[in-house]
Amino acid sequence: MGKLVWHSFARLVSITASVYAIWAGFWGLFYRKFFWDFVGGVLRDPGGLQAPPSAAPFIAVIVKIPLVQIASMLLGIILLCMEYPLPQIKEFAIYRSLVLRTVFLILQVFLNVLYYQGTNAAIWSLVAVICYAKAIMSGEEMEESKANRGKEGMA
Amino acid sequence: MGENWFQREFMVPRRLAFNVLFYGLHIGIFAYGWWSQATNLKLAGLNTLKFSVWASRGAGLVLALDGGLILLPMLRNILRIIRPKLTWLFPADENIWFHRQVAYSMAFWAMVHTTAHYVNFINVEITQIRKQTALQIHYTQPGGITGHFMLLIMLLMYTTAHAKIRKECFEAFWYTHHLAFFFMLGLYTHATGCFVRDSVEPDLISTFPFYSTEHCLGYLSWRFIIWPGIIYFGERVWREIRARRATRLSKVLIHPSGAMELRITKPSFKYTPGQWLFLQVPELSKFQWHPFTITSAPEDPYVSVHIRQVGDFTNALGERLGVGPSVVAQMTKAAVKGYEKDEKNGFTRGDFVEVDPAMTSITLPQVRIDGPYGAPAEDVFANEVAVLIGAGIGVTPFASILKHIWYRQKKGKLGSLRRVEFIWVCRDAPSFGWFQTLLAEVEAAQADPNFLRINIYLTQKINEDMLWNIAVNDAGADYDPLTLLRSRTMFGRPDWNSIYGRIKSAIESGQYVPGSSSQLKTRVGTYFCGPSVLAKAIKKATEVNTDANVEFSFAKEHF
Repeated sequence: MGKLVWHSFARLVSITASVYAIWAGFWGLFYRKFFWDFVGGVLRDPGGLQAPPSAAPFIAVIVKIPLVQIASMLLGIILLCMEYPLPQIKEFAIYRSLVLRTVFLILQVFLNVLYYQGTNAAIWSLVAVICYAKAIMSGEEMEESKANRGKEGMA
Repeated sequence: MGENWFQREFMVPRRLAFNVLFYGLHIGIFAYGWWSQATNLKLAGLNTLKFSVWASRGAGLVLALDGGLILLPMLRNILRIIRPKLTWLFPADENIWFHRQVAYSMAFWAMVHTTAHYVNFINVEITQIRKQTALQIHYTQPGGITGHFMLLIMLLMYTTAHAKIRKECFEAFWYTHHLAFFFMLGLYTHATGCFVRDSVEPDLISTFPFYSTEHCLGYLSWRFIIWPGIIYFGERVWREIRARRATRLSKVLIHPSGAMELRITKPSFKYTPGQWLFLQVPELSKFQWHPFTITSAPEDPYVSVHIRQVGDFTNALGERLGVGPSVVAQMTKAAVKGYEKDEKNGFTRGDFVEVDPAMTSITLPQVRIDGPYGAPAEDVFANEVAVLIGAGIGVTPFASILKHIWYRQKKGKLGSLRRVEFIWVCRDAPSFGWFQTLLAEVEAAQADPNFLRINIYLTQKINEDMLWNIAVNDAGADYDPLTLLRSRTMFGRPDWNSIYGRIKSAIESGQYVPGSSSQLKTRVGTYFCGPSVLAKAIKKATEVNTDANVEFSFAKEHF
């Protein structure tokens, strides 16, 4: 009983995950760490875990220049704009695409799983991906915002 | 609704007081947690981490407070008992609202706490003040594991608790919210493992609580905040036991308007009018409990609820009882059409059909009820004048109250209550046929014509046929053609300000309440059940009209 509208639930999860991703990316700018540096890394005292030479490309885009963190913040902002949605985006039908969201969220999972602060954002984005996938599989479609609006006195 | 965020939060004295106390307490505790960590010489090692460790300890202490508070408003049985004694102090009916405020605060401080710890652990790893990596602390120690789990549980609980999701699928919210059990376990064990310590290695011991307080210097907050959790758990167990007591569905009546009246006998069930209960039909769903207003009076030998088939549970219940939506739709149509026929063949709209197991192939299902739970209408008898306002289906609690008033009136035990104004705002009265029957009974039983006044406002648009029907039948008739009551139906929306203005001037001129002199303050209690937009308008009208002689109070029920 009770029919869960998966995409409206997924939207809330996606918003939460994206906000987390932006916040995580922001802190990632100041405390830069490659999440997977424990694979083959050496622990120095002091100095912490040193990633192996094989991870050099990741170190370059996360620790040397925080590219991944910046990208993750930007993606989070884009997702938020889509999910809320921003009034300017509302006109385009593409913002209602569940598939596009799923693609963006998968990208968010991969970006966030790379750096230290992003783990939870990645897991939560994965939850959102699963929910959107469920919505797509059950043939749900997002209605235009006009039809999607609650009616006065319905509550 | 005309008022902005600032006016709502800061210009209403009661809300302002709450905000100052609630958030003041939070900030104060955060400051204390910060300060006591920063100045603790024993923890000088940890204090080399500076701001992040101070912030995480402060926020941790605040979260302990929130973890202790979050369950308090959900202790429904205890609230029911203490509510009547504490109405002056806090609006206990606003328990869900308070629960939400604590949850919001918890989300914010969880953000502070987690952010601070992410900084702490990376610095621990870099400085090697403890010989561990950040990920070891995050994912192999109790604090880290429970913390990440609690965050995930919070994600699921908060998102499914959103108003939109609750409306679309209440079950998703209901089941997901039971993750709270694991959340609370995580909260109580979050600080185990001697995380905050002045020694190099955790000082673990073999007896409960498995760490020595000599070197483990956490705030030990779980010792305090675990009690609401234990009490809540006990309450849930108690509710289960109580629900298992002998309960029998003795009768099902189907009213022409489609409302099903379930009459349940349960000798152990005691309640006061205006309260509600949880109903479970194990055959339909083993775990779901659905809230319904009690419509019988305590004097009745049974407990009754009136159920309209509007949601999936109520529809399923209708199907189970052999009166599915199609049958009901037919009956409703017949009832709406039935105006003209009514008086001719002596068949009133209030007539109902009983689902009789002896005559049809339908058996009555097993039911369980849990409750009763509180509602402000309990204290009707403390006022001289009670204004009862029901809007639409929100009229149901007043069935019980009116019946109860009627019983008390017969026994001559009305307390200080002198007059009752009953106002019913509704779009189409005919669909509430069962309630009209009840009103007609209560009205007919009135010896004093001034005690109970029934005002019905019909807000529906009226078509031409109906207009002529009213015009032809109304003139000179004893009963209103629409409701079959002696009181006339009014059309359009009520003007609350003028209604209250009239009551006030009538009281002040001494005509309204017999025997009350003007130097005494007259208490007029308003009891409202219905949509919140209306509630705001009425509340405003009560505030505007309150003066030295007449005190209007306002209470609203939540569903």
